[in-house]
Amino acid sequence: MELHILEHSLKVASIEKEGIQICTHGLIKLAFLASKTRCKFFSLTETPEDYTIIVDEEGFKELPQSEHISVADATWLALNVVSGGGNASSSQPIGVTKIAKSVIAPLADHNISVFMLSTYQTDFILVRERDLPMVMHTLSSEFTLLRVVNGETVAAHNLGVTNGFVKPKLVPRPIIHPLSSPSNMFCVTSLDPDTLPSVATLLMDVMFYSGGQKEPGASSEDSSHIRFFSFSLIEGYISLVMDEQTTQRFPNNVLFTSASGELWKMVRIGGQPLGFDECGIVAQISEPLATADIPAYYISTFKFDHALVPEENIQSVIGALRTESTAQ
Amino acid sequence: MSGSKPDILWSPHHPDRYVICDSELGLYRIGPVGSAETKPGTLPLSEETAATLLAINSDTPYMKCVAWYPKHEPECLLAVGQANGRVVLTSLGQSHNSTCKELVGKEFVPKHARQCNTLAWNPVDSNLLAAGLDKHRADFSVLIWDISSKFTPETSVAAEKIRLSSVDLDSSTVVTKPLYELGQNDACLSLCWLLRDPKLLLAGMHRNLAIFDLRNTSQKTFVNTKAIQGVTVDPHFHDRVASFFEGQVAIWDLRKFEKPVLTLTEQPKPLTKVAWCPTRTGLLATLTRDSNIIRLYDMQHTPTPIGDETEPTIIERSVQPCESQIGSFAWHPSSQNRMVVVSAANRVMTDFTVFERISLAWSSTTSLMWACGRHLYDCVEDSAEGIESMIEKDIATKMRQRAQSRYGHDTVQVWRNHLLAGGNDVQLKSLWFDLYYMKQCAEDMELKLQGNKQSVVYSGIKNIVKTSSGTTESRRCWAGSDRPTDVPRYHSEERCLALRLCGWISRGPDIDVETFLRSLEQEQEWERAAAVSLFNLDIRRAIQILNKGATAEKGDLNLNVVAMALSGYTDEKSSLWREMCSSLRLQLKNPYLCIMFAFLTSEPGAYDGVLYESSVAVRDRVAFACMFLSDAQLPRYIDKLTNEMKEAGNLEGILLTGLTKDGVDLMESYVDRTGDVQTASFCMLKGSPGDVLKDPRVQCWIENYRNLLDAWRFWHKRAEFDIHRGKLDPSSKPLAQVFVSCNFCGKSISYSCSAMPHQGRGFSQYGVSGSPTKSKVTSCPGCRKPLPRCALCLMNMGTPVSNCPGTGKSDEKVGLTRENKLAQFNNWFTWCHNCRHGGHAGHMLSWFRDHTECPVSACTCKCMQLDTTGNLVPSDSS
Repeated sequence: MELHILEHSLKVASIEKEGIQICTHGLIKLAFLASKTRCKFFSLTETPEDYTIIVDEEGFKELPQSEHISVADATWLALNVVSGGGNASSSQPIGVTKIAKSVIAPLADHNISVFMLSTYQTDFILVRERDLPMVMHTLSSEFTLLRVVNGETVAAHNLGVTNGFVKPKLVPRPIIHPLSSPSNMFCVTSLDPDTLPSVATLLMDVMFYSGGQKEPGASSEDSSHIRFFSFSLIEGYISLVMDEQTTQRFPNNVLFTSASGELWKMVRIGGQPLGFDECGIVAQISEPLATADIPAYYISTFKFDHALVPEENIQSVIGALRTESTAQ
Repeated sequence: MSGSKPDILWSPHHPDRYVICDSELGLYRIGPVGSAETKPGTLPLSEETAATLLAINSDTPYMKCVAWYPKHEPECLLAVGQANGRVVLTSLGQSHNSTCKELVGKEFVPKHARQCNTLAWNPVDSNLLAAGLDKHRADFSVLIWDISSKFTPETSVAAEKIRLSSVDLDSSTVVTKPLYELGQNDACLSLCWLLRDPKLLLAGMHRNLAIFDLRNTSQKTFVNTKAIQGVTVDPHFHDRVASFFEGQVAIWDLRKFEKPVLTLTEQPKPLTKVAWCPTRTGLLATLTRDSNIIRLYDMQHTPTPIGDETEPTIIERSVQPCESQIGSFAWHPSSQNRMVVVSAANRVMTDFTVFERISLAWSSTTSLMWACGRHLYDCVEDSAEGIESMIEKDIATKMRQRAQSRYGHDTVQVWRNHLLAGGNDVQLKSLWFDLYYMKQCAEDMELKLQGNKQSVVYSGIKNIVKTSSGTTESRRCWAGSDRPTDVPRYHSEERCLALRLCGWISRGPDIDVETFLRSLEQEQEWERAAAVSLFNLDIRRAIQILNKGATAEKGDLNLNVVAMALSGYTDEKSSLWREMCSSLRLQLKNPYLCIMFAFLTSEPGAYDGVLYESSVAVRDRVAFACMFLSDAQLPRYIDKLTNEMKEAGNLEGILLTGLTKDGVDLMESYVDRTGDVQTASFCMLKGSPGDVLKDPRVQCWIENYRNLLDAWRFWHKRAEFDIHRGKLDPSSKPLAQVFVSCNFCGKSISYSCSAMPHQGRGFSQYGVSGSPTKSKVTSCPGCRKPLPRCALCLMNMGTPVSNCPGTGKSDEKVGLTRENKLAQFNNWFTWCHNCRHGGHAGHMLSWFRDHTECPVSACTCKCMQLDTTGNLVPSDSS
C-alpha cells in the first residue's frame, strides 16, 4: 500500500456562528469560485457549535482576521492512503475502517495526534507538520511513502529519525469520551463540479442561513436532531455530507446517489471540546468498528469528532462501543 | 450539461447522419444544398451541403459523454454517460422497432456515483460497453457493462435495491452488476478498445496509461505519464495511439510502450480533442480550447536505406474551417478528409474538407510527378515520333541523348560535335564550326609564329578587328571582265584572320574562296555559294553556281531566273535594272538571293541591306563586313552585332566574342534561354584556361552538368567528362583524397611506388614473383609486409599499380603498357568506413548482392546500406 503525503499546508480554524457573516465573502469564493483563488484544499463543516474550516495556506489568505475566528496553532499535512488495486474483491469496507489498523492505531500508539476528514472520494489523515518525521518512521514499515511535490509524486525520504523514540506501549484503548447518536440520518455524496453553479444558491442557503430555519424545527422535533453539514472542495472534487432532509431540497440527478443509496447514522464523540493534543480518540472508535468490519466515515471538527456508520449497523456499533467504554 | 462544450458524432453506418450533443442530442442529416426544396429547417453547412434536423432527444440530462453503437442494428442506439456515473442507452429518430426497444432506456448504474468521463463500445463484441469513471475511494473506475444482461436482484444487496427501485420507475431496466470491474482505486479519464485485439482495453487513468486484458483482469500493462486524456488508436496503424495532456500530444507505439515515440509541439492552450483521420493514414487533427483553427499533423514514415528505425516526418499545418471558435469536430468516417465542425456557441455547423497538400517532384529525366490525396499524376514528355518534329524536345532530353552520343568529346574534328548533337541545330552547328576554325587557326598560328597568337584567335573577331592596322584599300575588277568596280575592298592581316575564322578562306597566303565554294556546292547551298561568289566579285561564277543549282536534283528552277536577272547587272546608276532589282529583291524568299541584289544595287559603303539581313548567317555577314566596311565602319558594326547576339544569346555570336568574358556573357544569356549547360560547359572548356574558366558562371555550368550526369546515373559519362576537363583544364584535377597506408609501417602503399617506380611492374595480379628480391604487389612496397587479406577470398590484396601524384608524366610515357598496368576494378581495395572490413571490390559487390551484413563473421555492420548509392546501377554503359 502507498501512503501519499500531500503538499498542502493546512490550517484548521473555527468560526463562531455569530461571526460567520464577516467570513461569507471569503468562504463563498473558496467554495464556488475555485478558479479565482489558488486554493486547492477547502473544507467547511457546520456543527451546532461552530463552523470548522480546513484550508490550505493560499485559501487561508481569503479569510479575514477577526476575534470570531480561532485558529489551531499548528500547520497540518494531509496523508492519503492509496491501496493498490490488487485485491479484486469489491466488498471492501470503506472509510476509516480500512485504515484503522494500519494507520490510525500505529499513530495512536506513538502518541501522534491526528485530525480526520472523510470525504465522498477518500479519507484524509491530517497530522501536524512537526510530527511528520515521527509519522514517517511509524508508517514506513507498512507503507510505501510517497510525497507529492509540485503535483508529481516522488518517493519520500525518511527524515533520518531512527531512534530516541519511546517503545510504543501496546495497551488496550478504552473509550474515554461520552458518545451520543443524533436521530437524523446522513448522506455522503458529491456532485459534478460543472453543475455546482446551478445549485450554488441552494448550497449557500444550506451553509449560512440554516440557523434561522432550524430554530422552529428543533423545538418541534426531538432534541437529538443535530445540525450537521459538511462541504469540501479538494483538488477539484466536491464532497457533501448532509442529512436526509437537506438532500430532498436538491433537484433530481444532481447529487451522486449511489446505486445502493446508503444512509448513515452519526456517532458524536465528546462531551466538551476535545482539543488538539489528545491522541488515540480516532483509534478508540475505529478499532472496534474495524474488528466488527463495519464501514465508517470520520469527520473531526474543531471541537468534537463525528463518525458516520451505516444506519442498519447503528445498534451494533453503539453496542460495540458501549462494551469498549464499559470495559474500562 | 451546463457549461459543457458540444460534441459531434458521425453515424458509423449512415454517411449522411451525425449527432450533435450539448444539452440535448440532435440528429442531423447532411445533403446537397440544392437537392431538396429548401425547407425552413435546413441549415447551410457549406456552399454545397446543408443539414436537416431529424430528431431531438432531451431525455438524458447531465450528459458527459456519448458513444454510438458500432453495429448496423439497432442503427441509432447511443450510450450516454451522465454526471452521476450512470450510463443510459437511448435512441434518436427511431420508430420503436423490437431490437431497439429492449435496449432503449436501459440504465447501468455504478455502485458509487461519480462522473462518467468516457464511454467506448467494443468494436467486435458490441454488447460490451466500457465506461470510465472518476475516482471513488477504493472503487473501480473502469466498468464494462454487458448491454444484453438482465436485471437480476441479488439477495445480498436486496435491501439497497428496494430503496433504489422506489426511485427508478422501472427497475427491470436498471443494471447494477458490471461484467468486468477494472482500475481499482483510480480514476479513468479516457478509454479506447485496441483494434489489434478486441479483448484489450486502453485506459487513460489518473497518472498512467493502462492496458487491461479481459482474459486476465488481474494483470495490466501500464506506463506512468501525464498524457492520459483522449486516448485514441490510429485506425490505419493499430499499434499507434495518441493521447494528450494540457497542450501536448503524445504518440505511443504499443509495441514499445515505455515512453512516447514522439511528442508534438506544445500548444499554449489546453487541447480538447485529438482525432486520427479515418480516411487518410497518419493524419491527426487536434483542437485546443478557445481556438478557431484545427491543427493537423501529417505523420509519414519514409523508408530510407540508412538504418531500420527512422523518426517519422511530421508536417504541421493549420486549417480554419469557420470564423467562430470551434467547439468540436468530427472526421467523416468514409468521405476523404472531410469533417463537420460545430462552433463553441450557438451550434453553428460547418462542413469542411481538408485539402491535401500537393507535393511535386521533377525527375532528372524530364518527367514530372505530383501527388494530391490518393491521386498520383505522372507527366512524361511525349516521345511519339510523329510529334517529335513539331514540338521541340525538352533540353534535358536533348542533353541526355547528346551525352549518350558523346557530344562534345570529338576534340579533333571539332565541327563534328554538332552532328553528335543531332545535326539539326543551326546555332550549335555555327558554334562548333567557329570552334573548329579557331582551333585550326590557333594550330596554324602556333606553327607559324610560336607567339601568343592563340589567345588572339580565341578572343573573337570583335577584338581582332579592333587591333586592325595597315589596312589597304583596293578596287578590283569584276572577275573575267576588265570593268573596274567602284566597290572598295579592304585588306589587312587581321581581316584575313577574321575571314579564316568565318570559314570563307582556308590557310595559306592566297585569298581564295574556291575551296569554300566547292564545299558549299557539295552541300547544295546554291544561293549561299552564289552570294559568296558574288561578294568576291565573280558574277560569272555566281551565275554558274545558280545554273548548277537549278539543274541539280530537286533543284529550284527559279534559280535560273535569278541567274538571268543577275546576268543583266549594270553599274548604270539610273538604269531600269537597278530600279527594278532594288524594289523586287524584297520579294525573294531566300535571304542570300536577296542580299545579292542588295549588294549590287547599293551605294559603296552603304550595305545595310546586306549587313542587317538577320536571316543571313552571322559568319557570312561578318565576312562581308570584313571585306567591304572601312576601318571606321567595321568596329561599329561588329560591336552592334555583338551586343545583339549577346542579348539574344545567339551562339553564332561566339564568332565575334570568342571565348572571352564577352563570350561568357553571351553564353550566359544562351543558358538562361535554353538551360543547355552541356554545350556551355564543353564550349568554355575549349577556351584558354585562364580567365574564362575561372569565371564563376563557367564553373557553375560545369558543376551543374556534372551533377546532371550524376543524377541521370551516367557515372561513366561523368568520369569521361572529368577526364576531358582535366586535359583541357589541369587545375580542375582533384588531388588524391584517399591513401591506403600499410598497417605495419604506416606509409602509403601507393606513395612508395613513386620512390621505387619499377617495383611491381610486369607482375601478374596476385604477384607471383620469380625473384625473391622483388616485392610482390600484395605486400607493402615500403616494408614488404603483406597487405590485408580480402574478407572473402582470404588472399592478400594489392593491385599492380596505383596512380599517384607526381608520376602523371611518367604514366604518359609508358602509355603503351597502361592497359596492362591498370588493375581491373574487381581487384581494387574496398572497405567499409564504418566497420573497416573490406576486400576486393568485385568480391564485395557480389557478396552484398545477396547479403546485407558485413562478410566478416560476428560483424553486424550493414556496410552496403550505409552507402546510399551503393545499390544503384549506372544507367549508361561504360
